[in-house]
Amino acid sequence: MRTNQHVPGRIFRALILVLLWSQALPAGAHGERAQEPYLRTRTAQWYDVKWSVDKLVVNDTVIVTGRFRLFHDWPDAVRPPETVFVSNATPGPVFARVDSSLNGVPARQSFRDLQIGRDYEYRMVLKGRVPGRYHVHPMIAVKGSGPLVGPGKWIEVTGNQADFSFPMTAISGEKIESLETWGVSTAVKWHLILLGVAVVWILWWVRRPLLIPRYLALKKEREDLLTTNVDLAVAIGLLVVTVALSFGGYAWARSQYPRTVPLQAGTMYTAPLPAQAKAVDIRFKEARYDVPGRSMRMVFDVTNLSDKPLRLGEFATASIRFVNQHLPAAKANVAPGYPQDIVARTGLAIADDSEIKPGETRTMRVDATDAAWEIERLTSFLTDVDSKFGGLLFFFDAQGNRYIAEVGGPILPVFRKSA
Amino acid sequence: MSPNTREILEVSGLPPEGAKLSRIWEWFVVAAVALLFMGAIHLHVMLTVGDWDMFVDWKDRQFWVLVVPVSMLMIPAALQAVFWHYFRLPIGMTLGAVLLLIATWITRIFGWHIWGYFPFTMGVPSTILAGAMACDAILLIVRSSLLTSTFGGFVFALLFFPSNWPSLAAYFLPVEHQGMVASVADMIGYVYPRSGTPEYIRLIERGTLRTYEGSTVWVSTFFAGIVCIFMHMIWWRIGLAFSTQRFVATSKRFRRFMGLADAVQPASKA
Repeated sequence: MRTNQHVPGRIFRALILVLLWSQALPAGAHGERAQEPYLRTRTAQWYDVKWSVDKLVVNDTVIVTGRFRLFHDWPDAVRPPETVFVSNATPGPVFARVDSSLNGVPARQSFRDLQIGRDYEYRMVLKGRVPGRYHVHPMIAVKGSGPLVGPGKWIEVTGNQADFSFPMTAISGEKIESLETWGVSTAVKWHLILLGVAVVWILWWVRRPLLIPRYLALKKEREDLLTTNVDLAVAIGLLVVTVALSFGGYAWARSQYPRTVPLQAGTMYTAPLPAQAKAVDIRFKEARYDVPGRSMRMVFDVTNLSDKPLRLGEFATASIRFVNQHLPAAKANVAPGYPQDIVARTGLAIADDSEIKPGETRTMRVDATDAAWEIERLTSFLTDVDSKFGGLLFFFDAQGNRYIAEVGGPILPVFRKSA
Repeated sequence: MSPNTREILEVSGLPPEGAKLSRIWEWFVVAAVALLFMGAIHLHVMLTVGDWDMFVDWKDRQFWVLVVPVSMLMIPAALQAVFWHYFRLPIGMTLGAVLLLIATWITRIFGWHIWGYFPFTMGVPSTILAGAMACDAILLIVRSSLLTSTFGGFVFALLFFPSNWPSLAAYFLPVEHQGMVASVADMIGYVYPRSGTPEYIRLIERGTLRTYEGSTVWVSTFFAGIVCIFMHMIWWRIGLAFSTQRFVATSKRFRRFMGLADAVQPASKA
């Protein structure tokens, strides 16, 4: 009776389990929104990111290019970019990395001494490997702090994973049919040979009385029965076999692959991109985040140092782009096919959007309003111990030339609508 | 049944039925112990060796040949002590090595390949089978824990690199990539991105062991041999300590606190 009473409960729990299990789909993205806002707004500012295609077949390639600025107000909690690895963030090795570079320098190994306040240009070629739809980001990993992820785009890989291959040719001439399978059959065979010898050795002992009788015999001081001269001979044979197998195998491997190299581990260096002539000077005054309105309001002084009139076209932070919809050059700066989920629909509201004349200093009031602040989980800077923000401002002249400036500073929360 | 087996059973004092039952019981023990130690050794290796054994582009000449045998020796050495001390069975280390290799391949197939999409080339594991068998054989020959540690521990580390080279040499062929030389292992680590494992995180030879014309691997191997001697001694004793039953005298008050019958009974009578 007692058991029967529990049957419905058990069935219910089993159903819940099956339901949860059936909903556990493979991850397509990888939690980039979980990164703290100070990491995304005040470290690497990603811009000009492009993905060459948004759909490809297994073995075809997608090229990811772009630039990042290492923000001048680098957070205390993040180690400076003294050792950096340029990479891509995808859910596992669903793409194979064919090559990558930073400012044209090969990026297979890490870079040292990147400079804060300067720009770098990356390029990576990725080859479709596992069919599916994945969020593909550029990424840099900073030693001591971890990954800093750039904007992501959904890319679909079609075809059959079994068709994937990555052939290479060794400098010493050997043809590597694919990095997927190279050397695996040899490793398995070698392990099976060693396992075979080990199993014979174990069976040699297991076939005889194993535990209780041996334990009792040993307690009665009849150790002489438990290991015989034949056992000793077999043990000597085993020792000879294992040593011969090890060094024989080593000699065989040396003869098969006489030219090998150690793992390559040095760091690379590249100078940053040439600095752009300073066209504007920004003096940050204040910033408030309107919680109910999902809007960031900034006030800063701009001085036009160039000889051309300029207009503000874009504010970019944490891979979200707030574009001035009234400026054609700024709209044209958003590449076709750029992921629209990280381009704010409402754009950038500027109190005085007129041209800033050469030499003029103007106080600008700018509103960056969008639900993306919440969706991208950027509002937790209100709970940070270092409540500051940062971003890039893109100014444009009449010819469409772009001038980049950094903006950032403390930010205050506004919790009530009337404020 | 061989005369030796018959004699052991006679000396043990077990009646024929008891001997038969003990044999059946032994198989249950073997199954349970195999699963338990398969998990324990693998977990221990994952926690202490981790990436050095997981990834082919961590198997360097300096640290891999030092850290991996030193860590992989530990629980097998404890097993060797238990099997020898109580049963005079010189199979403890071999058993540990076999269980570890099986567990490692299971995780490579199901965890790395099927679940994580990594190719098998990325995770070809190292094995301690040769060293473990040699150490067990040495134990039976010398019949002394001290001499087994001294010779067996050293041989265990000495055989590690040569016995793994047949399965790994192919991954150290030189290839050209973007105008730079790389080993195939470097390329595998690069081609299959691990978002959370950047290149700089590898704890591998950085060219600081400048000696013997690049024979770094044998310098590390000999050092590993010295460390393994002492590691074998320590873990042999740990194995014995953890397989020894001890009865600890407790006070009546403590037993009552724990709700033990002999302490509670008088109170209930009262």
